[in-house]
Amino acid sequence: MADYREAPLATRPKTLDPAEYFNLSLNQRRAEEERAGLRAQLKRQYQMQLNNPHRKELIEDPALTRWVYARTNPYNHFRATKKTSLLGGLFGVVPLFVLYYVLKTDRDKKEEQIKAGTYDRKFKLAY
Amino acid sequence: MHLQFGCNPPTKSQRRRSEEKNTKKTLDFPKLSPDACVFHCSMSPQQLNMAAVGFRNWARALSKGKQPGFSALFSQVRAASGPSKGMLPGPYPQTPEERAAAAKKYNMRVEDYEPIPDNGEGYGDYPQLPDRSQHERDPWYSWDHPDLRRNWGEPIHWDFDMFIRNRVDTSPSPVAWHTMCKHLFGFVGFMLLMFYLGEKFPSYQPVAPKQYPYSNLHLERGEDPEKQPEEVKHFNI
Repeated sequence: MADYREAPLATRPKTLDPAEYFNLSLNQRRAEEERAGLRAQLKRQYQMQLNNPHRKELIEDPALTRWVYARTNPYNHFRATKKTSLLGGLFGVVPLFVLYYVLKTDRDKKEEQIKAGTYDRKFKLAY
Repeated sequence: MHLQFGCNPPTKSQRRRSEEKNTKKTLDFPKLSPDACVFHCSMSPQQLNMAAVGFRNWARALSKGKQPGFSALFSQVRAASGPSKGMLPGPYPQTPEERAAAAKKYNMRVEDYEPIPDNGEGYGDYPQLPDRSQHERDPWYSWDHPDLRRNWGEPIHWDFDMFIRNRVDTSPSPVAWHTMCKHLFGFVGFMLLMFYLGEKFPSYQPVAPKQYPYSNLHLERGEDPEKQPEEVKHFNI
């Protein structure tokens, strides 16, 4: 595996990264072992539920519940800082006024042209 | 690593809230007055929260304490069928103990757990995971969910739905990204510029009226064959 070259569009998997194999400090190893331990416990929980013959219901994933909850309830932790106020104003308030102004002036100009008889109707269907 | 399912006893915050119901500090609301809905922002957030509590209780009292329907929107009692408050995302952790508890909640090592920086955008204590798409994960490992390349219980990136294999791909590209951008936008920009200049400064083949042979097609046009055809000069030398 020493001459492994990954495909052009792929990243090298963690298990084939030479940095994972050489000159590993004890702390790094301990960290990897702890992570593997967490992973193994989660795998075990999932497999126990998956292969339980008496299970009738769906296996609920608390990580998914937390993710959905976090994504749908950002306003619990919302604070009005400079940045958030600026973004809120920029996306929520300014477009209203800008759109009103642009549309109103455009249509007023068109109305004036129609009244003066100078409006050039492109793609007109009736003569 | 025991995850709790099923009914839970009322949490500390729920008990505190039920105590507040009895011994709270509320604003005086005149019954059914439109002024009751106006809050002055000069109050501190604490007072505002208390006032919100009072408002909710007033609303509930108004609807005679019927739980279902409109008043359920103002209720502070949550159903116990979902995860407990401790298992759901919470506010940004301030103390190391809160950090450790949050890391445990998200099934991460305390050293690995890094909450998204608190800039008021509503992330709370959600962890900041590396912005790598699911394309980059090992295709040959036996994931619990192979199409998502994810294991059960693994913490989900905030933008997970963007990083699935149908969408954004952060895999390394064959050429560096800035090189690709320069090539693409350079080419497109150059073509746009040239077409614009071509519109501005058109150049055609020189055009002249069509010249016909045989004395301007004298016989073919039905003229008198005896008559001498008129001389048509097409050029000046």
